[in-house]
Amino acid sequence: MSRLEAKKPSLCKSEPLTSEKVRATLCVLKGILTSSYGPSGRLKQVHNGLGGCVCTTSQSSALLSNLPVTHPILKILTTSTKNHVSCFSDCGLFTAILCCNLIENVQRTGLTPTTVIKLNQHLLRLCTNYLKSESCGCRIPVDFSSPQTLLCLVRSIVTSKPACMLTREETDHISALVLKAFLLTIPENTKDRLILGKSIIVPLKGHRVLDSTVFPGILIEVSEVQLMKILPIKKSNAFKVALFCASLSGDLSDTGEGTMVVSSGVSLENAVLEQLLNLGRQLVSDHVDLVMCQKVLHPSLKQFLSMHQVIAIDRVGVALMEPLSKVTGTQPIGSLGSISPSSYGSVKDLCPAKFGFKHFLHLIPNEATICSLLLCNRNDTAWDELKLTCQTALHVLQLTIKEPCVLLGGGCTETHLAAYIRHKISNRRTSAGKNHQLQVPAGKDVHCLSYKKWSIPAPQPMTSCHQPELLWFFSNGLLFKTILLDFLLLQKITLLCFVCWTCLWFC
Amino acid sequence: MAALGSAKAALQVTEVLETILSRCLGPEGRQVLCTKPTGEVLISRSGGCLLEALHLEHPIARMVVACVSSHLRRTGDGAKTFIILLCHLLRGLHTVIDKEQDSLISKNIQTHRRHWKNCCQWKFISQALLTFQTQILDYIMDHYLSKHFLTIFSSSTEERTLCRSSLELLLEAYFCGRVGRNNHYFISQLMCNYFFKCMACESGFEEVFDLVDDYFVELNVGVTGLPVSDSRIIAGLVLHRDFSVYCPADGDIRIVIVTETIQPLFSASASEFILNSEAQFQTSQFWIMEKTKAIVKHLQSQNVKLLLSSVKQPDLVTYYAGLNGISVVECLSPEEVSLIQRVMGLSPFILPQASSQYEICNTASVKFCKPLTLRSKRYVHLGLISTCSFVPHCIVLCGPVQGLVEQHEGALHGAFKMLRQLFKDLDLSYMIQTSDQNHTSSPLTYKDSRESNPLPEIVNGLIQRPYQGTVVKNKGNLAKTQTYLKVYSNLVVPSVELETCIPCSTPKVTPTDTYQTNETLRCLAPTKTRTIDDNEPFIESNSANSTAENTGIEISSENLQVTKIAGKGNMLPVREKSLEMCTSQSYCCSTLPAGCVLPVGGNFEILLHYYLLNYTRKCQQSEESVVSMIIANALLGIPQVLYKSKKGKYSFPQIYIRTLHALQTSQPIVSSQKGLESVAGKYQLLTSVLQCLTKILTIDLVINIRRQPREMYDQDSDEEV
Repeated sequence: MSRLEAKKPSLCKSEPLTSEKVRATLCVLKGILTSSYGPSGRLKQVHNGLGGCVCTTSQSSALLSNLPVTHPILKILTTSTKNHVSCFSDCGLFTAILCCNLIENVQRTGLTPTTVIKLNQHLLRLCTNYLKSESCGCRIPVDFSSPQTLLCLVRSIVTSKPACMLTREETDHISALVLKAFLLTIPENTKDRLILGKSIIVPLKGHRVLDSTVFPGILIEVSEVQLMKILPIKKSNAFKVALFCASLSGDLSDTGEGTMVVSSGVSLENAVLEQLLNLGRQLVSDHVDLVMCQKVLHPSLKQFLSMHQVIAIDRVGVALMEPLSKVTGTQPIGSLGSISPSSYGSVKDLCPAKFGFKHFLHLIPNEATICSLLLCNRNDTAWDELKLTCQTALHVLQLTIKEPCVLLGGGCTETHLAAYIRHKISNRRTSAGKNHQLQVPAGKDVHCLSYKKWSIPAPQPMTSCHQPELLWFFSNGLLFKTILLDFLLLQKITLLCFVCWTCLWFC
Repeated sequence: MAALGSAKAALQVTEVLETILSRCLGPEGRQVLCTKPTGEVLISRSGGCLLEALHLEHPIARMVVACVSSHLRRTGDGAKTFIILLCHLLRGLHTVIDKEQDSLISKNIQTHRRHWKNCCQWKFISQALLTFQTQILDYIMDHYLSKHFLTIFSSSTEERTLCRSSLELLLEAYFCGRVGRNNHYFISQLMCNYFFKCMACESGFEEVFDLVDDYFVELNVGVTGLPVSDSRIIAGLVLHRDFSVYCPADGDIRIVIVTETIQPLFSASASEFILNSEAQFQTSQFWIMEKTKAIVKHLQSQNVKLLLSSVKQPDLVTYYAGLNGISVVECLSPEEVSLIQRVMGLSPFILPQASSQYEICNTASVKFCKPLTLRSKRYVHLGLISTCSFVPHCIVLCGPVQGLVEQHEGALHGAFKMLRQLFKDLDLSYMIQTSDQNHTSSPLTYKDSRESNPLPEIVNGLIQRPYQGTVVKNKGNLAKTQTYLKVYSNLVVPSVELETCIPCSTPKVTPTDTYQTNETLRCLAPTKTRTIDDNEPFIESNSANSTAENTGIEISSENLQVTKIAGKGNMLPVREKSLEMCTSQSYCCSTLPAGCVLPVGGNFEILLHYYLLNYTRKCQQSEESVVSMIIANALLGIPQVLYKSKKGKYSFPQIYIRTLHALQTSQPIVSSQKGLESVAGKYQLLTSVLQCLTKILTIDLVINIRRQPREMYDQDSDEEV
């Protein structure tokens, strides 16, 4: 429903960014974001005055989507941050804080928008070129032969989300699980193109975090009654599977635009039901062991199948269809007539499982890239946070395949980059003299701009950035926030584009 | 309630619009942020976008916005300039009218009569504007401005080949005023690359523009959350949806388009299907299934690997297609289907109704067909093989927020519209009035011949005899004509040379009747051609062309009064222009060739301003000169806004004086900016503004009706014409 509002004539204001009110709101937003940043960040409780559950979080995606911002400038800032997060999952807070810092610092310098845009573009190019170059001191290539680097990466993501309420032991456990889930999605024999599988997160709330596990294959939740009917499952070395995407409920399919006249005494329901039972007979004669349907199975067909020891599961839902067809190697059947034998698939094993109060049917594949991550946490809010964290970590791991490089965390990349810019600018000032391309009124401004630009509040401030030292820290298992390179680059580009673009509003 | 629709109200309204838009104009322009009560935010620099976003109450404002929109739909450029120009024109009119009104008030006429008189005055002015637009503007464009025009085609070769660097300059200047300052270079490069990639051969670029403009939405994909610099060009066509069934295939991939469901249904529309028994139902279902299977099997046997459907296909069809290794894409939009049809020359596959023996001829090959993932959204990527001069490519536009992507999309679409207009020939036509006070508007060549040779004057007299014997007046005006010739002389061909050339070929026959007049003309025409030949040897092809035309006319001219003199004023090395003149109808047609450009930075405006001022000095009719004066002054408003922030050497007065000086001493004009802009676009803009102004001025009363409108008329349909 669209909101109704009285028609008002359009109102024009000029120079919105310079007003004191905007500066104040920007400051408030920055305060909220900076205080949530990092492993030692404080949590925020967001609750709606009209009701609903209270969200306890420190993650940018949850925070920004729940936070109502009114000023259009802030709206642009939060929207672009949200879009960035939806692309790269992590580093939303970093993006937003950097944005706020940049806007604030630029306002303080009092440069014209044109200069600021040129300056930002130049500095951006400087940073990205440096980060891409081999000489970059804070770049570490990902070694896929050992889990060490990847595990560190996952751990750094998990620890930076304090709202998950994990102990050290639980952090280790979850990190290991996430990495395992990721490894399970990588296909064993790849041809020319690597197509990653999928990890399905299965919720189990109210349990210990240490109960979380990861399984290859798919867990389908079934009710206890249904499970009792299925049991005992007969043992065999492979189960033949049929997966239907068409409805098997006995409803008539599309009859066309014209009218259909049915003579009295003719029961179409019976005709359709007979067709369904014929289908059932064919399934039985083809020795199918498991029938799954995206939509609804007719009770009579269900009954018929269970009489012939065929396990029938319906209402699987469209979300599970693609993983199911991947796991079983079937093709979703859309016909009620004869079924081609090539559409059947198989699973290696089928076993009932019970976790907590929930009953599952576990489909164990022969060889597939689908796994289920059973995620437990003590309460709803913590579970939501943990789920988001795991999704983020999985996505970040996927991105490492694209660009197998990580950066050192703990604010050290940022410090390093700031030092690099400072060094470059001061060099330039002494050597280039008058004739440099940036028409900046005073070199001092650039200096202070660049310095402040990258000085993000670091959770664990590092004093020196020499690689051997860092590696020592690294090997000692000291926690670093490691961020993907790809990610950081893109993020900075996004950021600066954004900032350049908002800077048009100055003066 | 009714209010007087006066120019004053219109001025107030447009002044408000001007204050919003003038700050977005030009390379120094800034963005405007609009917020809606629903919480949406729009950031834009595009004038059209902003005007449509505004919530306007005043009917005149709405009319102006409608005019701008219809202009934009046609040309894709100039919304901001439109408003600024309109505002300046209204302001100019206002000051002129105020002066006159003072004298009116002193006469103490009754208010009612004064109002009526006012209305008449507005009507009169709008008539004068219309005359200006239809006659004087074209004349000035053709005679004075055209020699300053540059061309976008590379000048080295004979045939028209696009010059990449010129196109880059043109696009850069265009995007400078449309997108954020940090992106305009990137976007213009992207567009330039896109255009050259899409062009199969050098000659077929018009078709590329038409196609891209028509199917712009289908040819680009917007992605949010990525930086703008990630935007790229992809070869092939990206459909904005995912496969329903995907079967990897390579080699010869043939595709088929269907517009209806493949599965036969029980009953067609407006028919009845009578079921008498359950067995009948089952057999018919079985038949449907078999039929579907047979069609899909047949498609497979024809090596069809991809089925494109504009409707949703039943599960059965997708199932069988999957079994037979056919990928399926459903629910294509009509535009996507028609784009594929146009590019590949493929018509939809019509399902055979009765027989099972049929041949499908409507298949076409694609190079590849694969899924494409852009930021976790899946698309279908087709490598179409084009049968026309358009090689299909898609633009992937990235941006941090949706609004920025849309802004870039709008700018790109506008740029294609602008280029489409640029590469069309623009027809200029104007009347040459035979009444004596309008001699200034008759073309130079005509008078030239009259002045240098006594014979053509008689010819002229003969021609003009039906028009109540204006011969005497013509002669009386001769002295004046000569003075004008001096003005023109340094602009076109040196008249001294003309004079020396023409007498040597003076025809010996004295014309006594109309037949001989024709002969004289025939003799004269080659002379003219030769003259031009001597003066400008590099346009030989053109003059040869004109001789051919002249000989053609000898035969066809029935009334013996038609002559064609071609090849006047080719000042630019590549420009070709033929001037067609029909003296019997006093009607002149000429074309502004495709690809005419001028440097940016108000060059067009200043040039037109200069020549209009010159024109008004010679003009005798008062209202014509007043209107021309107002327009000339209003034109200066645009460079004024453009150079507002500049100081010193690049401030507006400096540039204005320098340009005028260059024009007076016939030196080449030095422009401080490298960019180019389309002349056709500017010309169309000016005509649209004048039309809008005429519309505003003819309104007498604004009547406010409180009732709900009964019927919604399409406001823009009549403006399209």
